[in-house]
Amino acid sequence: MDESKCVGCGACAEKCPKKITDTYNMGLKDKKAIHVEYPQAVPLKYVIDPNNCIYLQKGKCGACKKLCPAGAIDFEQKQETLTLNVGAVIFSSGFNPFNPSALDSYRYDYRPNVITSMEMERILSASGPTGGHLVRLSDKKKPKKIAWLQCVGSRDMNRCGNPYCSSVCCMYAIKEAVVAKEHSEEGLDCAIFYMDIRTPGKEFEKFYNNAKEKEGVRFIKSRIHSIQDIVNSDDLRISYLDEDNKLQSEVFDMIVLSIGMEIDKNIVKLSQKIGINLSEGNFCKTSTFNPLETSRKGIFVSGAFGGPKDIPQSVVYASGAACAASEILSPARNTLAKKVEPIPETSVIGERPSIGVFICKCGSNIAGVVDVGKVVEYASKLPFVDYAAENIYSCSQDNQDGMAQLIKEKGLNRVVVAACTPKTHEPLFQETLTSAGLNKYLFEMANIRNHNSWVHKDTPELATLKAIDLVRMAVEKVAIAKPLSETELEVNQQALVIGGGIAGISAALGLASQGYDTYLVEKNNRLGGEANKIFKSANKENVQKELTSLITAAQNNDKLHIRLNSSIVNVKGFVGNFKTVIASDNKEETIEHGVSVIATGGTASKPSEYLYGEDERIITSLDLDEKFINNDKSLKKVKSAVFIQCVGSREPNRPYCSGVCCTHSIINALELKKINPDMNIFILYRDIRTYGEKEYLYHQAREAGIIFIRYLAIDKPNIKIENGKISVTVYDTSLNKYLEMEADLITLASAIIANQDQKLAKFFKIPVNEDGFYIEKHAKLGPCEFATDGVFLCGLAHYPKPIDESIAHGKGAAAKALTLLAKKKIRTSGTIADVEPLKCSSCGVCVSICPYSAPSFIPDDARFFAGKAQINPVLCKGCGLCVASCRSGALRLKGFDNDQIFAQISAAFEKAA
Amino acid sequence: MADWEPKILAFLCNWCSYGAADLAGVSRMQYPPNFRVIRIPCTGRMSPKFILSAFKEGADGVWVSG
Repeated sequence: MDESKCVGCGACAEKCPKKITDTYNMGLKDKKAIHVEYPQAVPLKYVIDPNNCIYLQKGKCGACKKLCPAGAIDFEQKQETLTLNVGAVIFSSGFNPFNPSALDSYRYDYRPNVITSMEMERILSASGPTGGHLVRLSDKKKPKKIAWLQCVGSRDMNRCGNPYCSSVCCMYAIKEAVVAKEHSEEGLDCAIFYMDIRTPGKEFEKFYNNAKEKEGVRFIKSRIHSIQDIVNSDDLRISYLDEDNKLQSEVFDMIVLSIGMEIDKNIVKLSQKIGINLSEGNFCKTSTFNPLETSRKGIFVSGAFGGPKDIPQSVVYASGAACAASEILSPARNTLAKKVEPIPETSVIGERPSIGVFICKCGSNIAGVVDVGKVVEYASKLPFVDYAAENIYSCSQDNQDGMAQLIKEKGLNRVVVAACTPKTHEPLFQETLTSAGLNKYLFEMANIRNHNSWVHKDTPELATLKAIDLVRMAVEKVAIAKPLSETELEVNQQALVIGGGIAGISAALGLASQGYDTYLVEKNNRLGGEANKIFKSANKENVQKELTSLITAAQNNDKLHIRLNSSIVNVKGFVGNFKTVIASDNKEETIEHGVSVIATGGTASKPSEYLYGEDERIITSLDLDEKFINNDKSLKKVKSAVFIQCVGSREPNRPYCSGVCCTHSIINALELKKINPDMNIFILYRDIRTYGEKEYLYHQAREAGIIFIRYLAIDKPNIKIENGKISVTVYDTSLNKYLEMEADLITLASAIIANQDQKLAKFFKIPVNEDGFYIEKHAKLGPCEFATDGVFLCGLAHYPKPIDESIAHGKGAAAKALTLLAKKKIRTSGTIADVEPLKCSSCGVCVSICPYSAPSFIPDDARFFAGKAQINPVLCKGCGLCVASCRSGALRLKGFDNDQIFAQISAAFEKAA
Repeated sequence: MADWEPKILAFLCNWCSYGAADLAGVSRMQYPPNFRVIRIPCTGRMSPKFILSAFKEGADGVWVSG
């Protein structure tokens, strides 16, 4: 397939006689040997599967080649080996979903209603094999009862050899259960069988609580070893011990196996060949302080290859790896960039509209359904239309050239293209307008393929009428379109990072080491933040030693300007042009900067429960770290130590999970065992959340004889001090009785809370969630930045996370900031809001409603229109929220003006002549 | 009334529903040709006046999606 020629029309796939398994739909559907991988693929180009193509295998057929109107099929293409000279490599090879066929007690290969979670994803998807209708595979019956079995292919040493936790399965199982309930019309019973529910991500615990309490998803703590067949039935039976140790048996219509992640065997081989060290679980081995570097210099890692990750974590690590790679490549930045010569624009102001309408046949994609000739004929009679014609492919290069020629020759000053969709092709046609010297906003597309010919195949006459309507609507809209201008703005090449903890230092170093002057503001008298109090990382590295070298690197970087004992007094400006006043040691300075990184961190809470503060033997995890750091001799004398988890986390008033405490307590418990192997150590927990490869630590702890006792939130451990002796009583949920133990050290895993700073939130106009953490641009896809342009986020200020994730987040925020700095200039869009100040009543609704902080009041001391609203064109995203909310009608959205939309509305129902 | 067909005007958000309607096309999902789409940059742009105007101009239904 010649990608440059394929227009994505799909004529080939329609006629291809060879059906193959659709791997994207997990084999639940067929596709053709010539196909697009999935409908939302970008670019939309068809590919041939050479192993299944009849022509490539047997030399016969070639139907696609005969049919392809674009001449894009090339059977002569051969696999090529390319040699690229690069300065850095990012290894992001992902994972394979675990194949449960090997675990035959789960009956996956034998029973159609035992499916994997990936298959369930497709069944729940509107674009999936069942069109989003929840049915079971054997008989298409709507299920009434579905069970999810957790940890299939994860946390399993005996049967599949994957001892690690795959991190994402608890959350996706809960999501699938909730979505399945939404899809079911007649009520659905969802049961999740689990060992520990691991929902340490941001907002995840809330989702879990909601599924349990509001949606009625059942959570049953039991690992299921097998699924039983039922004779003459497609149903399936599960037997399990319930919380009261009673044997239960339940029948389900469908069972979903929550499969884990595995690294592909070929990736393992490739890694060994090129010298990338792997971990025990075959993931790329990294260290806590260099979470993005492989053992081979110049090769970086992102995504699940570096350990199981969900989407936001993958995005963070991807941005982080980009930063790490560009640190070594920064001298070459922009050396391969090409400069585009600007073409002078002709003014059309005052001219009568002269519209050219181009109707695309898209081969037979449109013309096969819509009577294009009729549409052209109709269009040519519309007011102000001076030219109307059809093209076979409007998007082809010669048609683009022809269009530009026609614009110039006929003096057209508005253009309508009726074709595929503006989502993919608007920029291309706009470029053609620009090349013809016409303002690119004097353009409109009518979607007569994706929204018409492709979806109304059986009613060609009605489709033709619809195309006529859509063209008329576009013509009416473009007739009153005005040329819009885009302005350019310089981006100040300095950066500001607020917060000198691990995340802040990493972000600042990422920026400074690429040559950007970076100011790092820290409120305390030293860098390092909370990490100054931590003894060992999850990889058992000495945190103090590593932190010292990180701080030294920051101090030795002459582009990095550290301001200790400092605070932010004022912030003015916006993306590219901030002016921030910093107060340090009674003196103030003003820094101009183009980007801002918020890394204000979090802190450990001081518990109000478990007699904390009343006895020096009852301490927090960080207090214990301090004892380790100071080599405290008293630890040698401890005979019995108790750790209590979830102290202040996962509580009604603080519902989130602090994420790091399970691992922290286990690391510290192992350390105590090292000091005194005979010490009795108990960890009292609700769910052990050693996600990813931290699961190995949990194994080590159990092997070392550390005793884990699960307690319930409704019956918490109780601490008593009598005659100088501390005793802990806890209800053991596996023994179903109260246990009492003596302790001479109690460590409370206290919650991480955000360092809330209302002033800062106000200065940068950045939102805070109800738990006190900043709200990022997008929970999944925008974890390193805010919705407000030019302001970035990393570290605990976003959500509790361990050191490696904080460093990756810091670098990720730096990478996002770099994309702005490296551009040097930002270009505003033309389709943005605009104020007519004479109509503005200064009510302020626009100022408060805009998610991007674009509207503001004109300062009181301004000469004109003081107190009226103004729109910052750089920050405006053109959503029109302010326009719709403006009570005085003072706001308008350029390119989507009221008169334009009204013109479309009234044109929609005119009778076609 | 037996062959009466409703005329529906759809206001679709550029970023989600408009794209979804494109995907429906790529997947060749078939549906009746009764509605006409107006692409808006965000449903935040939606004004009650647009809905009233649509009914005034003869729409039998208005669909806002975003």
